[in-house]
Amino acid sequence: MVNIEESNDKSLVGHTPKVPVARAAMRSQDHAEARDLGQEKAAKVFEINGLHAYYGDFCALRDVQLDVHQSEVTAFIGPSGCGKSTFLRCFNRMNDLIEGARVDGEMRYHGLDLYDQNIDAVEVRRRIGMVFQKPNPFPKSIYDNVAFGPRIGGVKKSELDNVVEKSLRRAALWDEVKDRLGDSAYGLSGGQQQRLCIARAIAVEPDVVLMDEPCSALDPIATARIEELIAELKTQYTIVIVTHNMQQAARISDRTAFFSVEVSDSGRRTGQLVEIDRTEQIFTNPEDPRTEAYITGRVG
Amino acid sequence: MSENEETRSEFHQLMDEVRSDLVRMGGLVTEGIASVTVALLANDLAMADQISTQDDEIDLLSVEAEEKCIRMLALQQPVAVDLRTILTDLRMVSEIERSGDLVSNIAKGIGRIQGVELEPRLRGLIDRMCEQAVRLTTLAIDSYADKDAALAGALGELDDRLDELHNDYIDTVFSSRFDRYITTQQAVQLAVIGRFYERIGDHAVNIGERVQYLVTGELPEHKGAQRARIRRERSEEV
Repeated sequence: MVNIEESNDKSLVGHTPKVPVARAAMRSQDHAEARDLGQEKAAKVFEINGLHAYYGDFCALRDVQLDVHQSEVTAFIGPSGCGKSTFLRCFNRMNDLIEGARVDGEMRYHGLDLYDQNIDAVEVRRRIGMVFQKPNPFPKSIYDNVAFGPRIGGVKKSELDNVVEKSLRRAALWDEVKDRLGDSAYGLSGGQQQRLCIARAIAVEPDVVLMDEPCSALDPIATARIEELIAELKTQYTIVIVTHNMQQAARISDRTAFFSVEVSDSGRRTGQLVEIDRTEQIFTNPEDPRTEAYITGRVG
Repeated sequence: MSENEETRSEFHQLMDEVRSDLVRMGGLVTEGIASVTVALLANDLAMADQISTQDDEIDLLSVEAEEKCIRMLALQQPVAVDLRTILTDLRMVSEIERSGDLVSNIAKGIGRIQGVELEPRLRGLIDRMCEQAVRLTTLAIDSYADKDAALAGALGELDDRLDELHNDYIDTVFSSRFDRYITTQQAVQLAVIGRFYERIGDHAVNIGERVQYLVTGELPEHKGAQRARIRRERSEEV
């Protein structure tokens, strides 16, 4: 159990005011150094050891050990049922919202035990934002979708316009919507809606953005725009993405983790991490034959 | 379809086809080395012409194999061992095709040494260079077919034997010239023919390096490249 008192990041503990705290410290790592994948210098945002995820007594994910590095894109790939989405939801305690779901093992976020009972799950989700498979804008205006989080976070009305514009610009959507901010978000195309969801996620200044198959409902052009956006966002955020599209993982990620699934005699499926490595290594010369068999299509 | 069933069988069948093409090309080259040596030692011009024509078949197979590789790269987005195999295949196509050209060059060289009575020592060395070139090419193709990195890595040492034979051969050609058995022009033509055998060995070694990449994922780094890398790193430090 982490000693919270000794941590320099106390904003996740208890019900502290939901204002940006300690982010500067989190981002203080040298980004240039963080880019240097070859020498493994990037700071660790998450350190995960012996993590098991359960639904009731059923183990959906077994004994995962991996690190997520700052200002990198980490992609999770693997067949259906391998637990990669379950695992992604562990990063911001979204599984807490599912009845019977629980997590064993160690999940450290900037050194803090994310599952410590003193950690505020709501604050965790503000720090660690999420974008889902299908665009899910609120039934509100484009402006209000982006302003929603900052408003709750106490951002002053006079600053909201700036926050909305900055977020929409970062999400590469500003030029397309600046003249119709009051229009319903539902009037946007699928790709625009997804970029709006990304703008909404980053409007609260998160540290990490989790993406669960963010392009699976989009056409190739909209997908390409999101991929380009991810490449830009990683300079400011740490991104963890689940994707069914292996080429997408190859194109956009710095590291790739491959998960496989074991099916028991009773048909229950338990996921496990097979291998995580630099993406180039995974797609040119993976270490584990199971990874090779999967990515080359020699098994389904 | 069950979970453990091959999901890209058509793609992998095409990869197997290219593999067969390359093995076949390698077989044609080794047959060519043996045949052209028979023609050379027998001073048989008709046979030499026929061997030159056979090189067209290797050229056609190499174009077809290359087209298949390009198609797979464009359409199949190969990764991991598939990517390494196709990259290896593309390099191997060039190496084998060049060896085929060298066989053809030897055949053409036979026309340029008409009237030369090869002395027994030269005949023996040509025979042994042929044997070594055939051996190297066969083993190189075997190492590819079996994905045998150890065998592929041993080809360099085997090639040293061919290089020694080549040196002996050149010495013997020049001794023959010194003893006035052959003219200067004929000596040059014989030296060039010997060089073709020696180059076939080098292509086999290159194939071996590519097979090592295919198996291990490590690119071969030549001494010159190592020196340049060190120089670059030093200049960056300054």
